[in-house]
Amino acid sequence: MAHIAEYDAKEAWSGGQSPFRVSYGKMFMWFFLISDALTFGGLLVSYGFIRHKYAEVWPKAENVFTHFPFVEQHLPLAYVGLMTFILIMSSVTMVLAVEAGKRMDKKGVLIWMFWTIIGGLAFVGSQAWEWFHFIVGTDEGAMRNVWDMATQKYVLQEWHGANMVVNEYGVPQFANYFFFITGFHGTHVFSGVVINFVIFMNAINGTYERRGHYEMVEKVGLYWHFVDLVWVFVFTFFYLL
Amino acid sequence: MDFAHDNYPSYETMYNHDEAYGKKARRTLWNVFWIMLAITIAELVVGFMAPGKGWTGALWLKIFFISFTLIKAGYIVMAFMHLGHEVKFFKYVILMPYIVFMFYLIFIVLVEGTYAGEKGNVTRVDQVLVQQQINLRKSHGHGAAHEAAAGHEEAPKEEAHH
Repeated sequence: MAHIAEYDAKEAWSGGQSPFRVSYGKMFMWFFLISDALTFGGLLVSYGFIRHKYAEVWPKAENVFTHFPFVEQHLPLAYVGLMTFILIMSSVTMVLAVEAGKRMDKKGVLIWMFWTIIGGLAFVGSQAWEWFHFIVGTDEGAMRNVWDMATQKYVLQEWHGANMVVNEYGVPQFANYFFFITGFHGTHVFSGVVINFVIFMNAINGTYERRGHYEMVEKVGLYWHFVDLVWVFVFTFFYLL
Repeated sequence: MDFAHDNYPSYETMYNHDEAYGKKARRTLWNVFWIMLAITIAELVVGFMAPGKGWTGALWLKIFFISFTLIKAGYIVMAFMHLGHEVKFFKYVILMPYIVFMFYLIFIVLVEGTYAGEKGNVTRVDQVLVQQQINLRKSHGHGAAHEAAAGHEEAPKEEAHH
């Protein structure tokens, strides 16, 4: 790009301009994303530690997530593959909205942001479906020691599904980390959809056309790509490995 | 040098481009998308077919999945998030602290996780938890109620720890 070729490192640090050639808004979106990435990194690393510790009894994801909507057969990993595809696709539509914004193409921004919002909602809905099946569990269930409040004793009984203390599929830690990490990520997706919607409405009202640039679309795009980035890691460490 | 605010460059509009450049940019973005799609499908196929997965599974599988993940992450950050086109200093400011810190954290956890997983260092509560899970897994399925009860017999007095 032309403006990078003009960049003179010596002159850039002599004042009167940003040596990084970014506006403060974009820069602080990046700084926020780093702090958020540290949170997710810490969660995934601690997940790895606990999983390593209980390696012999840790459930395998392809034995847990085997459902697919409207299909009776067992299809391990197929649904999460679809979710990953939806999120990557919405990342592409977001980046196309950013590209349209750089050409001051209002119509392009609106079309691509609309599809991004649809993709985000589809992903959140898919996650809700996945949680539902994880919590309800399978028909056959498993024998588990469940704490009985009345007698203050553990009672061996048939158990279906998972919650924070009892898990049909294996150690309860698996469910705890699944709920927390995918839940935290899902919260990010949902807030991303909300922010996308706000920016979408602003774009409809012509706020950015009057302002002379669509940088807000780029900033919210950074956040949206970050959500996709986190999912790539969650997908690998939770479902594939 | 003039420090007046009016002369401060407009970074918001600096990255705007025309239709010709946009066409090129769009082609690149779609290429990135196809690469990422191909990687995801390859990961799913391998994950579907490969035996002996999991933490105790084959080393080449872990290397395969993690390196493909890092390639995808690189494409997202560099192409989609546009960091590849930012000024070099900015790239380093964003990436270096994070990479250094995460390598440190992963190193610490691998070292301590190995220690915590060694037989002598596992706490009594964890031993009980793991043993229970193994017993219950054995008893999982029909006609195994007797076995389950046997596995349960040693459990209650350990459960007092909770």
